[in-house]
Amino acid sequence: MTTSNFDRRYLLMMAVGLFILLVVIYPLWQVFFRSFLDAGAFSLKSYRKVFAYPAYYRALLNSVWVSCVTAALCMVSGTLLAFLVVRTDLPGKKSLRTLLVLPYALPSFFAAIAWIQLLGPQGYLARLFFQLSGWETAPWNIYSAGGIVFVLTVHYFILVFITVAGALERMDASLEEAARASGANTYRIMREITLPLVLPAILAGGLLAFIGALANFGIPALLGMRARFFVLTTSIYYALAIPDFGLATALSSMLVVVALVSMTFQFALQKGEGRYTVISGKSVRPSELRLRSMRYPLFSCTAVFVFCISIVPIFSMVLTALLKYWGAPLAQASLTLEHFAYILKLDTGRRAIVNSLFLAAVAATLTTFVGILISYMHVKARLKGSRILDFLATIPYAVPHTVIAIAMILAWAKPPVSLYGTLWIILVAYLAVYLPFAVRTTNSTLQQIHNSLEEAARVSGAKIFPRLRDIILPLAWPGMIAGWILVFMPALRELTVSILLYAYHTETIGVVVFNLQDAGYREVAAALASIVMGLLIVGNTVIRRLTGGAAGF
Amino acid sequence: MKLSKVLFSFLAVIAFFPFFNPGLVSAQARPANRVLLYTSVPQQLATAFGNAFMKRRPDIRVEIYRAGSTEVGAKLAAEREVGGIRADLLWLADAPIYYDLRAKGELMAYISPEAKHIPADLRDPDGYFTAGRLINMIIAVNKEVVPLKDAPKSWKDFPDFGKKAAMGNPLYSGSNFVTVATFVKKDGWGWFERARAKGVAVVRGNSEAANALAGKEFAIAMTLDYIIAGLIKKGAPLAIIWPEDGVISVPSPIAIIKGTKNPDASKAFVDFVISKEGQEFLVKQEVIPVRGDVNPPKGQPSASQIKFLPIPYEWASENAAVIRERFEKIMLH
Repeated sequence: MTTSNFDRRYLLMMAVGLFILLVVIYPLWQVFFRSFLDAGAFSLKSYRKVFAYPAYYRALLNSVWVSCVTAALCMVSGTLLAFLVVRTDLPGKKSLRTLLVLPYALPSFFAAIAWIQLLGPQGYLARLFFQLSGWETAPWNIYSAGGIVFVLTVHYFILVFITVAGALERMDASLEEAARASGANTYRIMREITLPLVLPAILAGGLLAFIGALANFGIPALLGMRARFFVLTTSIYYALAIPDFGLATALSSMLVVVALVSMTFQFALQKGEGRYTVISGKSVRPSELRLRSMRYPLFSCTAVFVFCISIVPIFSMVLTALLKYWGAPLAQASLTLEHFAYILKLDTGRRAIVNSLFLAAVAATLTTFVGILISYMHVKARLKGSRILDFLATIPYAVPHTVIAIAMILAWAKPPVSLYGTLWIILVAYLAVYLPFAVRTTNSTLQQIHNSLEEAARVSGAKIFPRLRDIILPLAWPGMIAGWILVFMPALRELTVSILLYAYHTETIGVVVFNLQDAGYREVAAALASIVMGLLIVGNTVIRRLTGGAAGF
Repeated sequence: MKLSKVLFSFLAVIAFFPFFNPGLVSAQARPANRVLLYTSVPQQLATAFGNAFMKRRPDIRVEIYRAGSTEVGAKLAAEREVGGIRADLLWLADAPIYYDLRAKGELMAYISPEAKHIPADLRDPDGYFTAGRLINMIIAVNKEVVPLKDAPKSWKDFPDFGKKAAMGNPLYSGSNFVTVATFVKKDGWGWFERARAKGVAVVRGNSEAANALAGKEFAIAMTLDYIIAGLIKKGAPLAIIWPEDGVISVPSPIAIIKGTKNPDASKAFVDFVISKEGQEFLVKQEVIPVRGDVNPPKGQPSASQIKFLPIPYEWASENAAVIRERFEKIMLH
């Protein structure tokens, strides 16, 4: 390795470090040090409060167990589905895949509302159940810890599904072929070859689901209140309402600590990853497993699952958009298109769609780009200190969005650099919020590219930038596009950050939906969310057409 | 797909974006005569009202930031840390917050020439704030779940409906906070302890209470009159009951922030809100007026027909944190 080459990689690292400093560390530090302040002086008062009131440490425990169960369920369901859709001859798997990814575009409080509409005490399924069984109450209760875990799982399993599906697609089939040739049966191959190969992806996805559930606010806020079941994010919101700034920041810091501990676990589990590198020079497409007699039974199971978690909530949302009012009887007379007309006539509605499309596209592109650089330095180049960058870039994922928004105001609303009141402060906040997604997905993508390819280029004298451009990026491309969409979809409907940072003319889709919903215009809000869903379906189809099916879902 | 192509289209999107939405690239590229309004008034109403004002005063531009009470509160707290509140005008439903702002010296005193038409108990004597509209906390009933004759007639009977009754969370919503404070000041925490024992549900805010009521999840709900009136208009089988022991009529005050860069335009907006013309405009949007010489919306009983509970603003403002914490302990844990 020549010295100049060595220096350049560190130059790259410094640039990325500066980015993380400005977008993540400096703003969050502004919040963090305030958790130790009481009337301007150093104090541990807020932390003492957290442990003095059972309500607050119970919220902490609730957060942890709900997120653990959610992550476990996501890992099981996400991996199974990814395997079925990618590696078997299941009929109709392309469409199944698209349908599985779709509900992720629902704002999480809409997902919660959709499930209330179905499973709530007066939901469609509950009413069907009453008619069939003659009971007066349903044996399930959506307003409970179990209901929260269920909706969170349905909302986040997609993170495991996408990362694992990507890994399964890119894995080198020759290892499996070799095992098969040596007489191993399918079960043994799965257990000893396939599963270990995709394990980093499962863990990476599981971590995303865990922290996602930990930092989610919309679902526990809607489903937990009636059961008096509180988690950290809802407690933080109350602390802000009281208003107790110190307590809110102290609770947020604890949330970050829980997330950091879980990240450390995942990092430790992934040590010694040479064995996970599976894309090497000669690529054999993975073989399809023949399901034979299980083909149709498994298809019906998957179809029923997809129907329940994807079609039904989306249908429920569209139905809400068409109803004259929430709770109206299901009859032709109570259906109307006026909510769609209303939203399209609304200036703010149209402007919000343009703003959100722009913000989501730019945020997704920049974070994916920075993410691949961080992952390259950490996973491939193994530069000293790169692991810390990786770690720091993942922190904001565990910070509730409200706190990130406040951090951005504290950091970027005072001269000389005031971005407050412009679209750019929302963009910076989105970069912080979604950088962790990009880092995690690009991490598992790069782990699967064997070092030998880059080594070959390096030995032949290629410098760092040509190597990135000609070797790493082309190989990582499909994984990067999957990661891009994983940022784009939630960014398009982001609410909690935008609601504190938006200003005149910089409304986002989430803000408009929230304000409509809050004023009791739930049907109009549903209409806007339906339009967004439609845009995503069209966009996805266009991407697939343009790339011949190589990108998109 | 080539990398360079992607980068090129990405740059193209960024470059062309400002043409779709001019004027947002920098906060400075805005007209001088503008006022920034922070409000929790429903978006449609705030926008329509802002437009009505700008029609009258085309030289002024009103820019509206609308969010829930808690979000506006968090935004104000964060702004205070970095050089002061950025808004020129504040129009929230959380009346006690104005006493807090006044104590902190963050409001500008202004006695509008229109103020004399507003009852004295709806405005600050020194002119720091004035009610701009009224919203009433009432009992709403879903007639398909409980016959109207069996519905509670007063707040006293409300908790008896137990799990079939819902109320909004004062930690989310300003008007619910005012209601809780009024109840507590009058009779202590007994009502809430009873409600908790019987299992009265606490939901997020007034619109969720109203929507869940329309969806038959509850028989009765404590919520705001105009939300229910809107649902009734759309055909929902709901009814409003004006509690015999007193409606809580929450004034939604408007105030000018002391640091305003545009005091004249801000004053003009306040004048318009409480002017006869402004109040009549609000009445058309089903809002209850604050002026005695403007009639309430059709179908609303006039002020003389309903009993109102006195609201202890100053007490509520001084004890805000304690009230919210105590509520959380009784009702939410």
